[in-house]
Amino acid sequence: MKRRDLFAASLAAGIVGATRRGWASVPEASAALGRTALHGTIPRLVPIRAHADQITDIKVCLRPFRPAGPRLEVEHVAGKTVVHNYGHGGSGWSLSWGSAHMAVGHAAATLERKVAVIGCGIIGLTSALTAQRAGFDVTIYTRDLLPHTRSVRANGSWTPDSRIALTQQAGPGFAKTWEQMARYSWQTYRDYLGLPGNPIDFRDNYTLSDTPLDAADHAPEQVDPAKGSFATTGAPQNSAEFAIYASQISDIIPAAELLAGADNPFPVAYARRTPLMIYNFGAYGHLLLSEFYQAGGRIVIREFHSPSDLADLPERVVINCPGYAARDLWNDKSLIPVRGQTSWLPPQPDALYAVEYRGAAMISKSDGVMIQGYDMNGLGEMDGVGNSFEHPDRAEAEKAIAIIGDLFARFQPRNG
Amino acid sequence: MMTFFLSPLPHLRAATALMVCTLAGLAPASAAWAAPYTATHASNRGNNGPSVTFSAEQVTHGAQIYAGACAMCHGADLEGGHDVPDLGNYFMARWANTPLDRLAGYITHAMPLMAPGTLPPQDTAALVAFVLHHNGVTATSNTPLPMEEARQAKIRIPAPQALAAAPASKP
Repeated sequence: MKRRDLFAASLAAGIVGATRRGWASVPEASAALGRTALHGTIPRLVPIRAHADQITDIKVCLRPFRPAGPRLEVEHVAGKTVVHNYGHGGSGWSLSWGSAHMAVGHAAATLERKVAVIGCGIIGLTSALTAQRAGFDVTIYTRDLLPHTRSVRANGSWTPDSRIALTQQAGPGFAKTWEQMARYSWQTYRDYLGLPGNPIDFRDNYTLSDTPLDAADHAPEQVDPAKGSFATTGAPQNSAEFAIYASQISDIIPAAELLAGADNPFPVAYARRTPLMIYNFGAYGHLLLSEFYQAGGRIVIREFHSPSDLADLPERVVINCPGYAARDLWNDKSLIPVRGQTSWLPPQPDALYAVEYRGAAMISKSDGVMIQGYDMNGLGEMDGVGNSFEHPDRAEAEKAIAIIGDLFARFQPRNG
Repeated sequence: MMTFFLSPLPHLRAATALMVCTLAGLAPASAAWAAPYTATHASNRGNNGPSVTFSAEQVTHGAQIYAGACAMCHGADLEGGHDVPDLGNYFMARWANTPLDRLAGYITHAMPLMAPGTLPPQDTAALVAFVLHHNGVTATSNTPLPMEEARQAKIRIPAPQALAAAPASKP
C-alpha cells in the first residue's frame, strides 16, 4: 500500500483486502472504505487564510530516524546503568508515553529510587513523568528546555509510524513492540483531552485530492532497482522500505469517512474526513513541565560532551533521551536525519480543522495555523531523508502555503 | 500511572549485593532490541534462604495455564498494558525480595480476576515458575518449585540483577 500522506494511516483498516483498482462510484468506494460521512455532519468551514505574508515563524526539525527502530536498550557506561530512549523518527510525540513506559520499566528493575533523565524534549519529559509515577525521584539534566528542543519543531499530530523504522532492518519482532508503545501512548494521551487550554485535542482532517484517493492508496510503490536499498547502500533508497504498522491498532483509531459530492465543501473531486489527534505544543508543554515540578522534579541545565561525563551524576540510573543529539554525543551513526519544516501563521480559532492536499498539510492549532510541505516533490517517505539542513527554507514554506492558499482561493463557503 | 497489585510491597528495596550471574541459555522471548535484561537474575543462593528452583515441566505447564487464564489481560508477552499491570520489569521490581508464598498466595486468592480461587496449587506454582523464567530467573536445579506455603515462605523472589554482566550494547 502506498501511503501518500502522514495521516492516511487510520484508513488502513478499511481498505485492507481491497483490490488494487479504482472505484467507479462513491457508493462502491464508501463500501470499501467502511462508510460515507453522515449527511449533515460536515460543519460550515471558515476558510483558512493561508498567505505567505502571514508567516510568523518557520521551524525546522531533524527527525532522529534509526533504520532498526528506536534505541531502548540498557548498557553500563561510566559506572551508570543507562537506559536508552531515543531515535523515534517522525513518531516521537505519538509513541512517547509507551516508549517511556518501557524505558522506566528497565530503570525500575534496578530497584534504585533516584533516576537521572538526560534531555527535556518530549521523550525526556514523558520519561521523567513516567518515572515519577513509578515512584522515582527524578532530576532532568538538559541543555535546553522544551521550547528550544527539536521536539517542538514537529507538526504535532498523531503519526505513530512515520519514519519509525525500516521494515527489514527493524525485523518482525519490532511490530509487536511498536504496537505496545502505540496503544499505551494513545490511552495516556486520552487522559489529557478536554482540559483547559486543550493541550491535546482532535481535529477533523480532510484529505483532499483531484484524483481518486484510493488510486493513490493502492498504487504499488515504485521501486527503482538501480537505486538499491538500505541493505546494499547503507541508506534508505525508496519509500517501500519504511515500515507501516498502523493497521495493527485500527481497532482504536478513528477510521476515515468518504465525503459524498453534495457534502464535500472543498473545490476538489475527492475528499475524506478522519478525526486526528493533535498536540498543542504550548499548552501541553507547560502542563507537562508543571506536572513534573509539582511532583517534586528538578531540572538542571547542563550539557554533556561525552558519555563519560555521566560519571559525575549522583544518580546511578540514567534514562538517556537526547534525540538526534545521540548521533554525536553517543556516536550513534545509525541515526539518519530526516528534515521536516513547518510554517506557522496566526491562530484561527474559528477554523479548527485540518487539511492535506497535493503534498501539503494544514492543521489549525491553538497556537497557530501550521502548514507543512511533507511530500511536495513526489518522494513519499524519502522526503527529507539524509538532509540535516536545519535552517528555514523560505521558498519551501511559501510553496507549501501556496498549495493551501490556492485551495482556499477556490473555496466557496456554504451558507449555514 | 498504573494501579499495581494490592499486595504487600517489597520490604527490601536495596539490590542484593552478591549475585552470581548465570547467563544460561534461558533468554526471554521478547525481541532482542527491547528485551528485558537477558537472564541476569541471580539465584539468590546463600541469601535469605534457599534458592529458587523450578522444573522445565513447570515452566511448560505454567505457559499453558498462562495462555488460558492470564494472557487475555496481561498479554501474550506478559507486557500488560495501560490499564493492566505488566508481569515483566515493573512486576519484578515490585516483588523483589518478597517471600515467594505471598506471590503464590496472591495468585491463588485473587487471580484470575474473573474467577479467583480457581487455580489449584500445582497450577499456581507452575505459573510462578513460568513468570520467573520469563523474567530471566534461572533455576539452580530442576527440582520443582514447591507447592506448600511453608516451603515457599522460605524462598525469596530474586531481585533483578540489573545488567551486571550484560554486554555493552553498541549503537
